[in-house]
Amino acid sequence: MGAARWLAAAVFTSAAAAATAGEADDETNALRLADQAPTVSQENRPWRASVEVAHTHSAPAGPSTWTEEDRLSFDFVYDDLLAPGLRAVFSDRLDLTHGNATPHEGNVNTLREAYVSWQKTPQQIVDLGRVNLRYGVGVGYNPTDFFKANAVRFVVSPDPASLRENRLGTVLVQGQRLWSDASVTATFSPRLDGPASSQAFSPDVGATNPSNRWLLAASHKLSPSFSPQVMLFGGENMSPQLGLNLSALVNNSTVAFAEISAGKGPSLAEQAAAAAAKAVADHETNQQRAALGLTATTSFNLTLTAEAEYSSAAPNKGQWDALRTGNPLNALQLLGTARALQELPVRKAVFVHGLWQDMFIKHLDLQGFVRGDLETNSRTQWLELRYHWSRVEVELQWQLNSGAPGSVYGTVPPSRSVQAVLRAFL
Amino acid sequence: MNKLLQSAALALLLVAPSLASAAPEAQAILAASDAIRNPGKPFGLVVNLIEYRNSKQTDQNTLAVYSKADLNSGQYRSLVRFIAPKRDAGKLMLKNGNDLWFFDPSSQATIRLSPQQRLLGQASNGDVVTVNLAKDYRAELVGEEDLPDGDRVNRHCYKLALTELNPDVTYHHIDMWIEAASSRPVRARFYAESGHLLKTAYYRKFQPELGVERPLETVIIDGLDPNWVTVMRYSDYAWREVPDEWLQRDYLPRFRPE
Repeated sequence: MGAARWLAAAVFTSAAAAATAGEADDETNALRLADQAPTVSQENRPWRASVEVAHTHSAPAGPSTWTEEDRLSFDFVYDDLLAPGLRAVFSDRLDLTHGNATPHEGNVNTLREAYVSWQKTPQQIVDLGRVNLRYGVGVGYNPTDFFKANAVRFVVSPDPASLRENRLGTVLVQGQRLWSDASVTATFSPRLDGPASSQAFSPDVGATNPSNRWLLAASHKLSPSFSPQVMLFGGENMSPQLGLNLSALVNNSTVAFAEISAGKGPSLAEQAAAAAAKAVADHETNQQRAALGLTATTSFNLTLTAEAEYSSAAPNKGQWDALRTGNPLNALQLLGTARALQELPVRKAVFVHGLWQDMFIKHLDLQGFVRGDLETNSRTQWLELRYHWSRVEVELQWQLNSGAPGSVYGTVPPSRSVQAVLRAFL
Repeated sequence: MNKLLQSAALALLLVAPSLASAAPEAQAILAASDAIRNPGKPFGLVVNLIEYRNSKQTDQNTLAVYSKADLNSGQYRSLVRFIAPKRDAGKLMLKNGNDLWFFDPSSQATIRLSPQQRLLGQASNGDVVTVNLAKDYRAELVGEEDLPDGDRVNRHCYKLALTELNPDVTYHHIDMWIEAASSRPVRARFYAESGHLLKTAYYRKFQPELGVERPLETVIIDGLDPNWVTVMRYSDYAWREVPDEWLQRDYLPRFRPE
């Protein structure tokens, strides 16, 4: 028995010694590898640019012909200090398309941002020009993103992040005052004459500045990890809207968020009817909009977001059915208005988004979303597989709108599309 | 005999305080090591991360990091700006303990991150920013060892066992080897709550920076796969005053370094 114990102890000791020796070898090898790491110098330049080529196949519902489209896009951003405290930003995207659908060619330039920012002191900043103001903690739907209406000139991808990125900013003047734990921003966006324009190189200020509007946004750090943001938005021909953005850490891997807006306003159906008549919807009732959700990350870098979305301005099932049966064109008109205003087309929806970085192999990312309409039980879904090198990336995207005939997403054209993208960063 | 024992006890009582003061205090050793890694005033530097899998370079990132200690907690608040690769240039991360925000200049979106959301492959968000370990961990001196440092030079080190003081930290517990003569950090092993080794770090290539000899490289070796190695190289140290007002979510869209 004593010998057996001695033997076991000897085996354990030598195994531990072997493991320690192996560990030491591994670490020596790692340090030798680190000795060979190249010296890297990176140019810190004030601009970034990319070129993109894409090919898209898309089709309406049912057995019909696929349409094809080729796209060439140029993306340019300049952001630099012209003098101490004086910053200039210019951001532009040009999309050139050619396809077999009518019209065959369509070129769209999107002047996203062009503004100067003067920081008089570290605590006081004034901006003048076109700025892509982006508020809201929601992932799929942003009720407090008050300047999003009519800002998208060209839909590059249905991904909500792309829709927020590739859009026109609003022409404005704004001031921000900062304290160590608080911030207040006051924005004025003036009415600029001219209707929305479909001209390729139009700055399209008529689309982004249709009326005089103002926004007050304030945030205050109430605890080391909780700083709510409160907003008040108003202007000509509209009632003031109250906005609230909250986010908090639930645990080491989960974030909870809530984005809410409330105020008097027209319903989506009234806005669609007014847009068709080139008029302004003037019948207002109390409206509430919200996006409430959780984002959780796994240990293998998969980030999942589940978001409950609500807009009292959008139709419920009964209103949708009445609209569709009254005149099918009304339903299409409402969907077009929802898309232009970047609003929910349906009263209640659930949005699930996933991003898996370095899926199975390094630099391979999978992301996608599903938005389920809870009124007519239809869905829109999008999936993207991306592989990237340091300066080049390739993407394969797939989109499908599905649902019974007459349901909300069963009515959205086109019903399915596949897009391949090659992008190079210059 | 009794008298002898009494005298011995008295002698021990008289000697004990001086023995205690001669033994280094673990928390002080850790704080001295923190001071080697972290300059005492607000500063900025550039971090180059080069990642290897199976001896092949798989990734490379360059970041500019601006750090400032919080007057109340003593812990650092850091603003991290991505310089390379080009697809990530201009992105920002603000870290104040577990209050983590990420700003993407393309979508103008500022989103809250959970500590588990990694932006940089093997290196956790906590690895790239400045951390005062003595503020977050309780240190215990568990022994003295001679071991080769990251430059393969033998060093006589204190071995400290660090246990978390609050659950918000990146690592549950850490074993740390600090050179007795210089207070330089030499090696650290970082563990999960389960006791599983997450990574080993070697601090090396010490050079004078901002008045003190500081490590210009950290080599991180994965705990499960030792062929997964990240070299973190530090350069362009400079004193940089970052106003408190800039270290908040609402300033991120405006951050533009001089």
